[in-house]
Amino acid sequence: MIQSVRRAALILKELGSSPRMGVTELGARLGLAKGTVYGLLRTLEDEQLVERDGETGKYRLGPAMLQLGNAFLDNHELRARSLLWAESLASRVAEAVRVGILNGRKVLIVHHVFRPDNSVQILEVGASIPWHACALGKAIAAHLEEDRRLELLDTDLARLTGRTITDHQVLERELRQVARKGVAVEDQEAIVGEAEVAAAVFNHLGAPVGAIGVAGPVERLLERGLAPDVVAAVRETARSLSREMGAGRVSAHAR
Amino acid sequence: MRAGGADGEAPLGSGFVLLWVRELATRMRDQRDYLTQLDAAIGDADHGINMDRGLAAAMEKVGGMEAESPGAILEAVGTALIFSVGGAAGPLYGTGFRGLGKALGERRRFDPEDLLMALRAGLEAIQNLGAASQGDKTIVDAFAPAIAAFERGLRAGEDLATSTARAREAAEDGMRATVPMQARKGRASYLGPRSVGHQDPGATSTALLFSALERAAGRGATERP
Repeated sequence: MIQSVRRAALILKELGSSPRMGVTELGARLGLAKGTVYGLLRTLEDEQLVERDGETGKYRLGPAMLQLGNAFLDNHELRARSLLWAESLASRVAEAVRVGILNGRKVLIVHHVFRPDNSVQILEVGASIPWHACALGKAIAAHLEEDRRLELLDTDLARLTGRTITDHQVLERELRQVARKGVAVEDQEAIVGEAEVAAAVFNHLGAPVGAIGVAGPVERLLERGLAPDVVAAVRETARSLSREMGAGRVSAHAR
Repeated sequence: MRAGGADGEAPLGSGFVLLWVRELATRMRDQRDYLTQLDAAIGDADHGINMDRGLAAAMEKVGGMEAESPGAILEAVGTALIFSVGGAAGPLYGTGFRGLGKALGERRRFDPEDLLMALRAGLEAIQNLGAASQGDKTIVDAFAPAIAAFERGLRAGEDLATSTARAREAAEDGMRATVPMQARKGRASYLGPRSVGHQDPGATSTALLFSALERAAGRGATERP
């Protein structure tokens, strides 16, 4: 490992998790000498990966980060292939649609289509949600190879709301059910008042590469139980998307 | 209407509770655009609209309940909020009001100590549902310090009007303290550091809840009709 590259990466991540920071604060957080941090920042600034606020002298992420972030999304195969499917799913069920991938123990939202009702909504692309608290994460985890799934289950299951499943055995049981049904349901487990119904998307090896789901207010998605038309729409979309990702006999996994 | 006289055994009743809810509904109507504007920065820009609609629905429901117990009225408010308010605010405030009402139970009259106990139960219900702690940039950041200030007031021997005024002040301080916080609950938490620098809409509506309580308490005790 190259130490300075690692340190530069840590600086970028620190700046990505708080609005702006000075050299001293960054040094303290990373346990590095001020001079070292300053040298790294200067180099990153030269590459426009960070920029310095003229007034406060503090550093924040730079414009090149936006280009890199966009490039990541543009080059992401699942995202690229999901654009049209997500759009048509959103208009079919008149709710928001999200596409996510598993990144460590969290689900990273790589695509988000707003609920088509002209209301103000926050773009959730880039949001990271603990896998066990969202339907996308449960849909993916349910189809992972056993050791990988157990690895995920064997972590601290943080409580995001009073409804988050934090009991390992309960969650394991639910994952088995998700694998059987082909859809995962989230009932206010990440955000109070919000629900999601999601299904995993598979690649040519039959491995889950991500998930696509319909997200919306719990009173609309789950009020009278799980709406069969939403389940059908999510399943069908996930199956079509899987086929595009090269999955052959998807039904063997998704059903 | 004598809602908070210092002479009687248990000075508070249904009239006081109805006044509290009415004052809250008025504030939600007046502050609707402000709350929505706050929510637009870190949420779905619907908090003011939702709370206004919810309290209007609640007022309609409890309008003719003067003869009911204070607890029943508060529970009815909670139910109305749950069924008429979308997003997180409906379930959270609705559960909170139901918690308040359940804590008061069947009693027809209650005193400031009962109110303190009920407020605690309301906050507990909210925290059971939302799993938020102080510092997460939520309702709790205004609610918890308000209860603590109310209790300090009562312990210092202050009357209801003064204690609820202290609660309102503490709720507003708590509300303002959410500005530099990074959200750790709800959709605002998806924004990460971008949630810093914005006042939490939920903490703001909670400050209005205590402002309405102060007004209801002050009217009966100190104001002329």
